[in-house]
Amino acid sequence: MSDPYQDEVPEGRIQLGFLRKLWPFVRPYRRGFVACLVILAISFCLEMAGPWLLRHAIDGPMRDTAATPEARVHSLLWYGAAFLGATLGGALLGYLFGLLTAWNGQRVIRDVRRVLFDHLLRTSLAFHEKNTAGKLTTRVSSDVENLNELIANGVLQSLFDLLKIVGVLVVLFFLDLKLALFTVATTPIVVLISVLFRRNAQRAYRAVRSKLALQNAYTTELLGGVRTTRAFGREAAVSARYAERNRETADAWRETVLHFSVFFALVDLAVRATTVGLLWYGGSAVLEGTLQPGQFVQFWLYYALLTSPVKELGEKYNVLQAAFASCERVFALLAEPEFPPRNQAAVRSARRGKARIEFDQVTFAYNPQSPVLRAISFSAEAGQTIAIVGPTGAGKTTLLSLVARLRDVTSGAVRIDGQDVRDLDLGDLRARVAYVAQDLFLFTGSVLDNVRLFDPHLNEAKVWRALETVGAADFVRALPQGLLTAVEERGATFSQGERQLLAFARALVVEPDVLVLDEATASIDSESEARLQHALTAALAGRTALVVAHRLSTVRNADRILVLEQGEIAESGTHAELLARRGHYWRMVSQVDRD
Amino acid sequence: MLRTLSSFRSIARAFGRPLRLLWAHRLLVLLGCVCIPIHAAVTLWMPRLLGDTLDLLQHGLEVGRTTAASTTLRNTCLLLLGLALAESLFRYVSRKTLIDVSRHVEEELKNDLIAHLQRLPAAWFDRSRTGDVVSRLTQDVELVRFVMGPLLLHGGSTLCLLPAGLWLMLSMNVPVTLACLAVFAVLFVSMRILLPRLHKWSKKSQEAIGEISQRAQEDFAGIRVVQQFSIVDRERAAMATKNRRYLLANLRLARLRSLFHAMSHSTSGVVLLSVLAVGGQQVIAGQITVGQLFQFTGYLALMTFPLEILGWTLATLPRAYAAGTRIAELFEVEPENPAGATPALQGRLRVENLTFTFPGASRPSLQDVSFRLEPGQKLGLVGAVGSGKSTLLALLSRFYDPPRGTIFIDDHDVLDLAPQTVRSLFALAPQEPFLFSDTVAANVAFARDTVLDATIDEAVAAAALDQDLPQLHEGLGTIVGERGVTLSGGQKQRVSLARALLSDRPGLLLDDTLSAVDPVTERRILRGLEAERRGRTMLIASHRLSVLADADLILVLAGGRVLERGTHQQLLAAQPTPTEAAPTQATSGVAPSGLYAQAFRRQTEAAALESRPEAGQ
Repeated sequence: MSDPYQDEVPEGRIQLGFLRKLWPFVRPYRRGFVACLVILAISFCLEMAGPWLLRHAIDGPMRDTAATPEARVHSLLWYGAAFLGATLGGALLGYLFGLLTAWNGQRVIRDVRRVLFDHLLRTSLAFHEKNTAGKLTTRVSSDVENLNELIANGVLQSLFDLLKIVGVLVVLFFLDLKLALFTVATTPIVVLISVLFRRNAQRAYRAVRSKLALQNAYTTELLGGVRTTRAFGREAAVSARYAERNRETADAWRETVLHFSVFFALVDLAVRATTVGLLWYGGSAVLEGTLQPGQFVQFWLYYALLTSPVKELGEKYNVLQAAFASCERVFALLAEPEFPPRNQAAVRSARRGKARIEFDQVTFAYNPQSPVLRAISFSAEAGQTIAIVGPTGAGKTTLLSLVARLRDVTSGAVRIDGQDVRDLDLGDLRARVAYVAQDLFLFTGSVLDNVRLFDPHLNEAKVWRALETVGAADFVRALPQGLLTAVEERGATFSQGERQLLAFARALVVEPDVLVLDEATASIDSESEARLQHALTAALAGRTALVVAHRLSTVRNADRILVLEQGEIAESGTHAELLARRGHYWRMVSQVDRD
Repeated sequence: MLRTLSSFRSIARAFGRPLRLLWAHRLLVLLGCVCIPIHAAVTLWMPRLLGDTLDLLQHGLEVGRTTAASTTLRNTCLLLLGLALAESLFRYVSRKTLIDVSRHVEEELKNDLIAHLQRLPAAWFDRSRTGDVVSRLTQDVELVRFVMGPLLLHGGSTLCLLPAGLWLMLSMNVPVTLACLAVFAVLFVSMRILLPRLHKWSKKSQEAIGEISQRAQEDFAGIRVVQQFSIVDRERAAMATKNRRYLLANLRLARLRSLFHAMSHSTSGVVLLSVLAVGGQQVIAGQITVGQLFQFTGYLALMTFPLEILGWTLATLPRAYAAGTRIAELFEVEPENPAGATPALQGRLRVENLTFTFPGASRPSLQDVSFRLEPGQKLGLVGAVGSGKSTLLALLSRFYDPPRGTIFIDDHDVLDLAPQTVRSLFALAPQEPFLFSDTVAANVAFARDTVLDATIDEAVAAAALDQDLPQLHEGLGTIVGERGVTLSGGQKQRVSLARALLSDRPGLLLDDTLSAVDPVTERRILRGLEAERRGRTMLIASHRLSVLADADLILVLAGGRVLERGTHQQLLAAQPTPTEAAPTQATSGVAPSGLYAQAFRRQTEAAALESRPEAGQ
């Protein structure tokens, strides 16, 4: 059995191509990044100055027995002051660097997040159906966050580390060729250990991450499913299962502990061994008189400067890899085309109260082999109600989604007042067409927010008017804080009937020309049925409407009925016409009385 | 005194259980702990050797090269190499053992917690949020583990290095050591001030990103609404505010972190400088040697890490203590009492004037409900969201305690029966089915330890799940759930039904179990169940009234009261009342108000308007 979590942990390749894609986001802040580089260069110099000063202090005033003690102390104080200056300057620059990288990085991140979020809201429904909300949310939150590692810390810091290594090595060579060669000979050992460790630790960590994800998911599950467990008396089995997952995670953790323990032990050993070698080699040189003690100390301290960036590069590699993996995913999403594509030549189209809708030879296919809608043609005159009936899967909901361009026709055209919807300005089109789903999707916020969908231009009076029209005002007034009542847990406290009323109000408050409506199927929801009927009548009054109907009364009152069957119009006409024809519709309707 | 005692008690409460778990590994802990002082001793030996060597060099420089000096240099180097080996070895052993043990403690603590949680009453789960419990199980346990492992390791080594190092430094030069200590104290105090702020702002940053995630999640889930109503721009604006808050929190955080680093950097610089300035003068004055000065700075370098650890420990301990307390709170919740009579039951059900209010709720969820059901009979429950159907079924599953004298099975009050005995009478298939991220087969066979494949197939067929198996790439072996294949709502419900059927209990509680299954399949399943019922008692809550046509009794619930009762035919015969039925008039014996008949007619209409052409013939 394959582990379903395994493939979720990606391996990012460090590719510079992504940096080029990132450039447009970095560009506005390039001055800040240049400033960061300048700061890095200066602080590198300051860091190098410390050991140099120390050397001259030792070889100069401290060992210079020829000068007077006063002069020696005086000169020592100067060295001290310079050292203090370098240290404090380094600290200040470090502080500035921290601030600047955060300032740059966080802004870039914010921009990427903004663009990505905005872009995802404009991608097609088909794309959203393939990608769960949870997955996309992870991209917007954690993956974008990982980019920060790349921008703020990763690249610059690694650059700095590299600079340090190269710089220190160069200085070492200038100081003493033999000692430098000795150092260069041993450094690869540390690097090798780091690289080996990195590879193993990475594997171990990946195992931990996937095991932990599995375990945490199972934790959430077993807590959510505690009633199921209880109902079937399976507590022991569930606990055993948990213990198994827990054991796997713990084993994975211990694996990382092993790598870490070995790594630290080996690196420490390697560094110490090099130091001891330096001491022996350098010490002999000093004894032979070919090296000054101060020089030796300086060399020693420079070597100490070298170890931390070498160790850190190995660590950074992991972080960078994760960041590149995130980068890859973020840009893959950004490459997803917008739907509908932006149309520069779009025609503006103002609300005018009514609209004529025309479907002209409309075909729609999710995949080319099996079209969902085939050559559908009909028109709804301004103010008319068209009822659509037919079995599940006949394409009713798809048909509704074509009007406001939630999807685009594969061939043919949908027209509003003679204009192809694809030529209209999208904002205008969607302002003219309102959609009422069977169930109300609720956002976190108040009832008010949910009716006016966070549009501050729609004042409370307008919202109340819409609520009155659909007959929802009473129950909203009865809520603990009226319109401002917070919607909790996706509105679990509202009955199905109440949700429908709110959905009507949400559609009507924007005063659309066209209503596209998926009528709710009946539930035994005593009080609201009468209201629903009333609300429907109010909503349809004076508007053009396409209704997927579930009530005979709706169908009877419609100006025209379309019977949809396997993506085609099987019959169309008024209630009376269709009954007279004694076809499919007649058979449908006659079932009701027979039952 | 009293306060110390009570604080000791609360510490024992927070860490008692993990410490007991740690005690079980005492030999390993002992091994790890013994290595710590040895490691410290080795580490502290090195600066002395280095200092001596430097003096040796200095001396050799003055008097010229001697073989004795060369030999000493070589021996010292070999000794240093040996020490380095010993240092690495002891470090390795202490780290490996102590951290390993902490992972064991973590594992056992989590197992204990889960086993305990499994026994808590259902009402407790209603009150607590899953997210909160999960965070205790993950983050809080991790914090406690810090105390049981890394803190032991680093804290132990700090405890050895810090006093010993200070003593060595003091023995060399009292004023310089004191000066260093003073500077370190400043750093330490500022860390104590900065760390809580860092913590506060990192929490704020976490909250802000949490809000961003929540909003994004909602917008993606409701993408149809977002696009249809063109609220993309509005959402973008809302997101911009949240982004801004996040940005500001992070900038603040970055400032604090940079300040922190800058301070520790400059402090160590100042300390080193003061040592060199004072020591350098002493070297010039001939009071100490260069080697001694070097030795002193060596000790100083060894002190920085323990000091950082000390600051870190002081910042982490209160959090770990709070985490330990939160875990202890979980352990202190009283588990469900499993005691009670365990007679053989036939399953005759009698509910008498049942009024039930959830603990903490202001209004009763069920009022005055009465009915009887003989073994093998079928009861239909009908009503809107919150009408009390699920509550009734939950009470029959003994998730909650009903008032005494209201629910009887074979004339035993359910309160006198062991909860498991009551539960083994009914198999519950809830409306929102619960599937584990496991194979379909494992989910179906959840109720049994061992089960034959044929039995699984039978249950799968009875729940009409077999028709979907070809779509799942690995059939019954397909993994479902979060990272596996996502089943549709109807498929999940049918897995849950198959699970209930496989548990083979005399009664079946279907809580709107097939609401997401299409009507044709639902009818097929229920017909199959009817034929295979073998005297099974069934309680079915459903929105689709047509499936209740053959029920022996149907209760129409509204607001927890029985509004109508009777068989399908009796209820259909009732005339719809023109006004809304007032639930207050309804008692258990009321005449039908026509609600059922009205809803049934509308459902028939809807079904007809969605019927396939063959269905009408």
